[in-house]
Amino acid sequence: MKRTFAAALGVATAITLVLAGCSSEEDLPEAKPFPTGPVTISLAGWSLSTTPEFKTLADGFKALHPNVTVELKEYDAANYDTQMTADLAAGTAPDVYVLKNLKNFTTYQDGGQLADVSDVASKLGNTVGGLSGYQVNGKSYAVPYRQDSWVLYYDKDLFDQAKVAYPDGSWTWDDYAKKAKELTTGLKAAGSTAVGTYQHSWQSTVQGFALAQTAGASLESGNFSYVKPYYNRVTDLQASGAQPNFGTVTTNKLTYQAQFGKQSAAMLPMGTWYIATLIKQRSTGDANKFNWGIAPAPQFDSSTTGTSKTPVTFGDPTGLGINPAISDGGKVTVAKEFLAYAAGEAAAKALAGIGITPANTSDAVAATFFALDGVPGDALSKFAWSKHDTKPENPVSKHTAGLQNVLNTLHSAVLSNSKGIDDAITAAQTQAKNEVLNQ
Amino acid sequence: MATTPLKRRNALVGWSFILPNFAGFAALTLAPVIVLFYVAFTSWNVFGKARWTGTANFIRMWHDASFWTALTNTLYYTSLHIPLTLSASLGLALLLNRSLRGVAFFRTAAFFPYITSMVALTYVWNMLFSPDYGPINSFLRFIGIANPPGWTTSADWSMPAVIFVGTWREMGYYMLLFLAGLQTIPAQLYEAARVDGANPWQRFLFVTLPGLRHTTFFVVVIMTIGSFKVFDLILLMTEGGPGQSTLVLSQYIYQKGFVENQFGYASAVSIVLFAICCLVTIFQYFVNRRWND
Repeated sequence: MKRTFAAALGVATAITLVLAGCSSEEDLPEAKPFPTGPVTISLAGWSLSTTPEFKTLADGFKALHPNVTVELKEYDAANYDTQMTADLAAGTAPDVYVLKNLKNFTTYQDGGQLADVSDVASKLGNTVGGLSGYQVNGKSYAVPYRQDSWVLYYDKDLFDQAKVAYPDGSWTWDDYAKKAKELTTGLKAAGSTAVGTYQHSWQSTVQGFALAQTAGASLESGNFSYVKPYYNRVTDLQASGAQPNFGTVTTNKLTYQAQFGKQSAAMLPMGTWYIATLIKQRSTGDANKFNWGIAPAPQFDSSTTGTSKTPVTFGDPTGLGINPAISDGGKVTVAKEFLAYAAGEAAAKALAGIGITPANTSDAVAATFFALDGVPGDALSKFAWSKHDTKPENPVSKHTAGLQNVLNTLHSAVLSNSKGIDDAITAAQTQAKNEVLNQ
Repeated sequence: MATTPLKRRNALVGWSFILPNFAGFAALTLAPVIVLFYVAFTSWNVFGKARWTGTANFIRMWHDASFWTALTNTLYYTSLHIPLTLSASLGLALLLNRSLRGVAFFRTAAFFPYITSMVALTYVWNMLFSPDYGPINSFLRFIGIANPPGWTTSADWSMPAVIFVGTWREMGYYMLLFLAGLQTIPAQLYEAARVDGANPWQRFLFVTLPGLRHTTFFVVVIMTIGSFKVFDLILLMTEGGPGQSTLVLSQYIYQKGFVENQFGYASAVSIVLFAICCLVTIFQYFVNRRWND
């Protein structure tokens, strides 16, 4: 009996080890000419019923190449990377998959799960933003098809009510903080319960701007002093009541969509993805119908403010990469053609048509986007949408995920007033040095 | 020893009965656990081959301040959660182990939190704990406490808040086990104790507690393991924060493994957690055996 049990254990171990080890790196099969017969490639996506972009891309490509079918494989939005990792390791992942954020790009690239697509990337024009995020040692491993950037949403009706002038593109963060307080006082005087601004609980709402806008700031350096002025401003806004405090946001699970959409806050720093959501929620009644606009994100100092300059902000591209386990050469050619299409102007127009901010923001694409019903048509909104220097939220490195966790600890400690900013920075630097950067 | 055909047949029949369950257990639990012991000695990010690194992961753990914080927090949670839940569930069981009107209702009410979705109840508790607008702090202010704690948003109070919710949720389940235990104590023992002049406290101490020994042992073991591997409650209520004030071992493992893709290191921490659970259980087992002698 005992021996049989041991044997069973041995077999189970062997099987698992084989399964774990079988996902070794492979070279792409040699590319063949574009097939003329029917061919199917698979594409990963998430929440297909509420995220139309994948179907838009698949349908658009089918219209150009009627013999190709792009089959969508649905994943869970919240667990996309975990599920994709498991599928890639098991060899069951689709031919083309989406890189939902830059943070996990390194894991895939370093793990040999992305084919070299430098030939596709080199043919894309300079209106495509976010390409550099996917380059390692001069080679491209994915191409971006959408590129959201962080901007400042504002509620014109609440501004009018508080008798505060609209943003004009000239704001630094100090101006923003001052206006948030003025708005709060003005709104209170007008009998409204709304506050000046809403900052969501994510670490990126503070750290993303700090890293992108501060000269010389670097996550990898392990020196985090650059976040200090940004946190001081936020804790001051919390204390003055100009924005809901972190504890209220987390314990009551406030959503930014409701805070801005239901007019509880006059301003909201958020990514451009929210434009499509807001327009949709206005039509379904999940958001009030009010006048709104977008302005460039407030800046570090006046050197980048004003509509004659290029405002600095952050945002991660969403890209497409090719699974190196793709089965034959014909499919390789089709998959590369699909990537070129997705990053190109035709797909960008189709994506802009459904309210998405594509990576390619040529004038023609911008025209399509602002022709949409419900998109604010003022000049500043157009400027904020199409002109910005968008830095990646995080550098592509094997330390990024670890450093993000360290800084998330700092974020919750400082905003909950559990730690002073100086102590928190010292603690984060020690933690980064001893636990992440030495790995 | 020669096996007779009959014996072999009986063994085969026995095996075939446990096979469906065992196959699932072997494939989904046992094999991964065994592989874990290998992965813990490697550096592995899920793709490709794991690189053998010997004891590097364990040396790293020794110098890892976050690991020690997580371990301390886990011990903090365990050391308060076990006695609180034990006394609350035993108290409830004693209270509801009598024939009073509507006892079934009260038993169900006490059991309810246990069968409620964890996501839903942490959502509600978080709102109750909300520092500025939550009912708990409104009540505290009403009775004259000017600066009530920030609960899940304060580094000092987040752990007590989480322990409280954990105790509230689990006491109903252990109450049920104690109720079952109480039914097995013969009524004659209480009668005899009464005849001997024992007061209620003495009857509890010398009849009830010894009679519940086996149940208590089981409850303590299960509760200890449960407390050491507390995860969903923490993740949903505080995500380990503010700062690292409620970071526990299983969440640290999750963070290192599934967020940072360091499966080798995460496995090494899992082994430490496994070893702690094993040691504590063995210790409890020996203590229990000594009592039995």
